[in-house]
Amino acid sequence: MDAVLENLPYLLGGFLTNLQLAAFALAGGIFLGTLVGLGRISKRPWVYYPVTLYVNFLRNIPLILVIFWFFFVMPILIGKTLDPFVSAAVSFVVFEATYFGEIFRAGFQSISKDLVSAAYSTGLTYRQTAAYILVPIAVRRMLPSLITQSIITFQDTSLAYVIGLQEMVRRTTIVDGLEVRSVQLYTFVAILFFVICFVGSRISLHYEEKSRKAKVL
Amino acid sequence: MIEIKNVSKWFGEFQVLADVNEVVQRGQKVVICGPSGSGKSTLLRCINGLEPYQKGEIVVDGVSLSDPKTNLYKLREKLGMVFQRFELYPHMTVLRNITLAPMKVRKKSRPEAEKKAMELLERVGIPDKAGAYPANLSGGQQQRVAIARALAMEPACMMFDEPTSALDPEMIQEVLEVMIGLAKEGMTMLVVTHEMGFAREVADEIIFMDAGRIVERGRGDDFFKNPKSQRTKDFLGQILK
Ligand SMILES: Nc1ncnc2c1ncn2[C@@H]1O[C@H](COP(=O)(O)OP(=O)(O)OP(=O)(O)O)[C@@H](O)[C@H]1O
Ligand SMILES: [Mg+2]
Repeated sequence: MDAVLENLPYLLGGFLTNLQLAAFALAGGIFLGTLVGLGRISKRPWVYYPVTLYVNFLRNIPLILVIFWFFFVMPILIGKTLDPFVSAAVSFVVFEATYFGEIFRAGFQSISKDLVSAAYSTGLTYRQTAAYILVPIAVRRMLPSLITQSIITFQDTSLAYVIGLQEMVRRTTIVDGLEVRSVQLYTFVAILFFVICFVGSRISLHYEEKSRKAKVL
Repeated sequence: MIEIKNVSKWFGEFQVLADVNEVVQRGQKVVICGPSGSGKSTLLRCINGLEPYQKGEIVVDGVSLSDPKTNLYKLREKLGMVFQRFELYPHMTVLRNITLAPMKVRKKSRPEAEKKAMELLERVGIPDKAGAYPANLSGGQQQRVAIARALAMEPACMMFDEPTSALDPEMIQEVLEVMIGLAKEGMTMLVVTHEMGFAREVADEIIFMDAGRIVERGRGDDFFKNPKSQRTKDFLGQILK
């Protein structure tokens, strides 16, 4: 354990970066994903087709490529190198929004046409119906999938090491380069990720059970 | 109050409504019946601007739905609608279901909206269910909440689309009683139903629709005793047996 203990603050500092990146990715990804989900059920062709193209395109390329591509292409477009964290955060938001978008689409489509008509028939506008009826119901129905996708997003944050972001995996390779203690170092990293993700999946299960029992939805 | 002039509607190739004409005066109660797929729900949805139509015109309270300048949201405030499967918002309490539109659309304050909601719940006979969620109510209770929710916007006309056909027999009466109460207070009503007892008691006019057309119209007993078309006779024979 010596290699881990001696470098603990450095490694945990990297872990903090993972958590921060995940926070940005989730907040941005879920917000944009809600809009993407609404776009995917839109009856307006000029909304539906561009959004669908965006979703299908990004869902068919690996995240690691999106991270790379954004990091190396943006400087050409805007003329200066981006901070790896900013670059990674933007890549994650743009990428994860397509996954969250599809989760929301399924959630919106599980809501009956007559329920939406009922909301409209009381004079609610489209925006109000989306804000008070569609999104809240979709979120409740989709909570387990949302949590699962959030866990995946969190795990994926370590991919940002490819553009030099000082997150935990990156720092572990640096420490390992000096100390050559691969087994204990990577076991430690794996355990940390496991604990966070395991707790997350328990929470997801809990909500699944809860909504089954309450049959509220 | 509602004027439907020569309205036709197609879903692709399929004609759902064919030259429908009808006038509902203020205070009138019109019952629509007809076999499944005859276009009854579609007609109500068109009146509420929830579905477009391709020919003819619908005018509600002097406002034409065909006019692109018409604000459909404003128009829908005048028309309350009740659905076969209640369609309450499952994530909100009964009280919230009723106060949502008055608060968001009419910008009423919460206390004002809740006071009105409690009066309405009193009127439909379930004031004790204000804090309950829809899933914990019986079908009859849910439908009464749905009626209260529509009434909360103080509509000039109430439209019902088979409000009792998803209910267990013992709950049908409690919903019909609320509807009869409304009728007696002079509400304008457009009701799709096969409850012929209700139709006899309250309807000023009964319309029989088949394949998107109004095949026959009549008043109360006359409609049942002397149907003119064979199609109406067959249909009445089936549901009155
Ligand atoms: N969105 C749609 N797209 C295509 N066809 C539709 C659509 N909605 C309804 N229809 C068809 O239009 C016809 C009329 O439907 P509608 O729901 O108005 O009938 P209804 O008289 O209310 O029948 P029911 O008694 O079963 O409720 C049906 O044949 C139905 O299949
Ligand atoms: Mg119908």
